[in-house]
Amino acid sequence: MTSAATDSSTGRLRGRPRPLRLSRWLRFDGWGALVLPLLVFLVLVFGLPLVVMLSRSLTDPSFGLQNYRDIFANAVYPRVLGNTFLIAAIVTVVTLALAYPYAYLMTLVGPVWRMIMLGLVLVPFWTSILVRSFALVLFLRDTGAFNSTLQTLDVIDQPIPLIRTLTGVVFGMVQVALPFAVLPIFATMQGIDRRLLQAAESLGARPAGAFWRIFVPLSAPGVAAAVLLTFVQALGYYITPALLGGPKNTMIGELIVQQVSTVLRFGFAAALATLLLLTTFLLLVVAGRFVDLQKHLMRQT
Amino acid sequence: MKTTKLLAIASVAGLAVTLSSCGGSGSGASESSLTVTMWGGAAQKAHVDSYFTPWAKTKGVTIKQDSPTDYAKIKAQVEAGKVTSGPTEVEPNFANTACEAGLLEKLPQDILDKAKATGVAEDQIGPCAIPILQYSFTIAYNSKTFSGAHPTTWAEFFDTKRFPGKRGFWKYATGGMFEAALLADGVTPDQLYPLDIDRAFKKLDSIKSDIVFFDTGDQMTQMLASGEAPLVQAWSGRIFQAQQEGEKVANEWNDNLVSYDQIVVPKGYPNKDLAFDWMRWFLDNPKAQAADADASIYGPASDKALEFVSENVRKELPGFPANAERSAGLVDYGYWAENYDSVTERLNAWIAQ
Repeated sequence: MTSAATDSSTGRLRGRPRPLRLSRWLRFDGWGALVLPLLVFLVLVFGLPLVVMLSRSLTDPSFGLQNYRDIFANAVYPRVLGNTFLIAAIVTVVTLALAYPYAYLMTLVGPVWRMIMLGLVLVPFWTSILVRSFALVLFLRDTGAFNSTLQTLDVIDQPIPLIRTLTGVVFGMVQVALPFAVLPIFATMQGIDRRLLQAAESLGARPAGAFWRIFVPLSAPGVAAAVLLTFVQALGYYITPALLGGPKNTMIGELIVQQVSTVLRFGFAAALATLLLLTTFLLLVVAGRFVDLQKHLMRQT
Repeated sequence: MKTTKLLAIASVAGLAVTLSSCGGSGSGASESSLTVTMWGGAAQKAHVDSYFTPWAKTKGVTIKQDSPTDYAKIKAQVEAGKVTSGPTEVEPNFANTACEAGLLEKLPQDILDKAKATGVAEDQIGPCAIPILQYSFTIAYNSKTFSGAHPTTWAEFFDTKRFPGKRGFWKYATGGMFEAALLADGVTPDQLYPLDIDRAFKKLDSIKSDIVFFDTGDQMTQMLASGEAPLVQAWSGRIFQAQQEGEKVANEWNDNLVSYDQIVVPKGYPNKDLAFDWMRWFLDNPKAQAADADASIYGPASDKALEFVSENVRKELPGFPANAERSAGLVDYGYWAENYDSVTERLNAWIAQ
């Protein structure tokens, strides 16, 4: 997506006949048509079913807003929804704090270490989420590897409660989200011309100043992509919080699954999903007022 | 370019919803095939090997498998009129509600009669369902932590002073915790249903800080064997299997609550006659049921099959006379069919508090 958009904005279109309005909107410059099958596929297997499913929130079991009233009639749903956004926000911040220096380090080391660092991020990425979550259970629980090692070394007397707490959830979710943050940030950083930093320093900037005023702003598109991917993904998690979290860390995805698969209230589940979608949408629009998402994600000016 | 911006936002927001839903794979029905859906894992393999494959061989039928059971999928298939799932292992409360809602095939009278005649407990037979296995919610304990005395009643299970440590419960309304709480509070087994949910919550409140929940059987055995929760209200078979593998865990059979799974056929399944034919064969073959009990440690549907089960497994089944005598009764899924939704909602709220 990014490279195609970049191509079209760097002036390759210049000198061609001015295309039709609609095709310009679809970026119909020949190669752009290759996107069409994907677009049709997405509309058919994702867009349409989504609309059908979400519309059930208004029609199942009867026409009206009853499902939405039910959500707010029980304090547990708004609370879990709020909890979901809070956990997603914490996960995003922690992930970013880890991913940014990691990606930066990847741009500094030699090719061999870069491959190793990339592998360290990608191997967990390719492993089943269930396997990883259970592995983390073994690692984090009171009698697990982490606590028993520290106890053997006499660092602690009592095990530190890590599992079934917010810490456990954040630990697990950050681990899942890390590749989605490291990869876009690394991709952006690799494209940054280092000579700009040298130029800044030759003009008298301290290395730290050059980093903050030149490098960080230039890496912003990668950071924006990472934040969006991490945050939006984190909203939908339910396996990791179910396995690593305590009862208080229930996320909305878990309740939606429960409504669909055991209570069988499709309409109510659809209402919860719609609410999640709308809240996410709203949040992104608000964020869009402060950060130019379009610029950062599409690299258009 | 306002539109592109909106599109970008919309597509990213869409991710949030897709990622919280996931699907399984299905397989279609053909002329002489039977698509069997169960909960999966080693248990499903045992069930299929013991009583689906032998039947299929004699009839020249191909067995196709799917897992795990997905109630939403059954509902969606029946609503869409494209049913590909044949015999499906379900919980009895679902069998009850789905049968009433017209999502399941009513069983022919001769199958219901045959079930009674072959020793299946009458209260486990429904108009759309026969049981295929039994298990118990037992007091499971870590035998290293409790090498001397261990809790033998639900009242003792709730006594955190005498038996300190975390208690594991299945995070599931029908998972037996309300029954256990009421029995612990002094309700007699014959007075258990309809459950006094308020009273049960009050009892659960008294040990709330010591409760840990599990979602899967693996989590259950893991937390018990590791000593993280040295007491668990457990699925009996899993504990025995863990014990066989050398873990320091055991079932206390006193006060066990008997539960069972049923098999149903979704409404409109093209090969439903084959499915019914299999049901008749299943009921007529106690030895096949016993073979499954040996392999899966789930009790056979009919107590008459018990005599064919090997000695050491039989002792760990709910139908074993010594266990049945000390049972606190059968989980009343008729009650749960009516109250599952409302109690689940209360449980969610209680957990989140």
